[in-house]
Amino acid sequence: MADTIVKLRLNQQQLELMDRTIAQGVAADRVALVRLALREYAAARNADAGTEAAR
Amino acid sequence: MTSRQIISEFVMEPGTGKAIELLKGQILRIEQVEGGQCADFNCFNLHDYKEFMHCGRTRTVHGFHPTTGTFMWSAPPRERAMLYILEDTVGRNDVLFPRCSAYVYEASYGFAVHTNCHDIQAEAQREYGLTPDDVHDSFNLFMCTGVDEDGHAFMTRQTTKRGDHVDLLALMDVLAVPNVCGADVMKTSNFALKPLKLTVFAATDADLARVPKTPRLASQRTPKDFKNPAIKSDRPLRRDPAYKAEFSNTPIVVTELPISLAPDELAMFNAVKRTDIYGDDDAAALRDLLFSWWEERFLQAHAGAPSIESK
Repeated sequence: MADTIVKLRLNQQQLELMDRTIAQGVAADRVALVRLALREYAAARNADAGTEAAR
Repeated sequence: MTSRQIISEFVMEPGTGKAIELLKGQILRIEQVEGGQCADFNCFNLHDYKEFMHCGRTRTVHGFHPTTGTFMWSAPPRERAMLYILEDTVGRNDVLFPRCSAYVYEASYGFAVHTNCHDIQAEAQREYGLTPDDVHDSFNLFMCTGVDEDGHAFMTRQTTKRGDHVDLLALMDVLAVPNVCGADVMKTSNFALKPLKLTVFAATDADLARVPKTPRLASQRTPKDFKNPAIKSDRPLRRDPAYKAEFSNTPIVVTELPISLAPDELAMFNAVKRTDIYGDDDAAALRDLLFSWWEERFLQAHAGAPSIESK
């Protein structure tokens, strides 16, 4: 299955925050930062869902 | 200094308030004489009255009921910690309600004249040349309030006793203006007006050591940073023909950043994206995800409030 392109629309302030985060060594570039955010955000929700289901 | 030295004492009678010069490193104790009395409070930078304690900012940082270990903050663009709540024997204060006013008592109760916190504050600070327009929303000490399920603020009776007190440590020179809340036909002070005692102490080294550090940031601006530092001295508003707008970071320019999602990433995204808000706008949903993640991972303080370094 082919990749899906999502075109993020970001203003200069949002890009600045991303770039400062990247400069801290969190990710290699903007695209990598978005991928990291997706993985960690989804993982956190899965963990929450797991905790809820275990109750 | 190892023990607090008393600098001055004063009793505020019902219906009154008192403006007090409280210097950096001094403590103002506001104390119940009989119990059950609300005190309204505000303060100004003693050297620049345009900087004043801002309930909105304080509420954002510390919630609806600030108590021991929290600060009273000045309004933007200053946003400095003015006072630190060193001690609070009750732990029930309010920054939801504005000061009560003459209008409230006329509109709701039919009084032509009635003690009210706005007018008491105004009269007390008149000693320093301030006007009724210079009264700001009050930090309401000992006032028992909450928010109901419909989002309305409510007030109820308090349980304070004689000797209960709040100690406010000045982090800058301020004009502190406490007053005995004028509400005797509301639950605020249990339907009676009682005196409150004020004591000013010199803080001890131990008192000063209890204050957490607060950040000093470039965004905490003072008149030297203002494009127009002069205080307007007349009342009508007239357009400045020389005005040229200088809004920061404008124009806001939007750039596209294409993100290629592999099938497993797309599945991950589809599982968590907020379609309830963004519908089929995946770009908006991914942007939301990005900055929501950022807040969760990097934001130090609740709701973007100024961070406070703990010692």
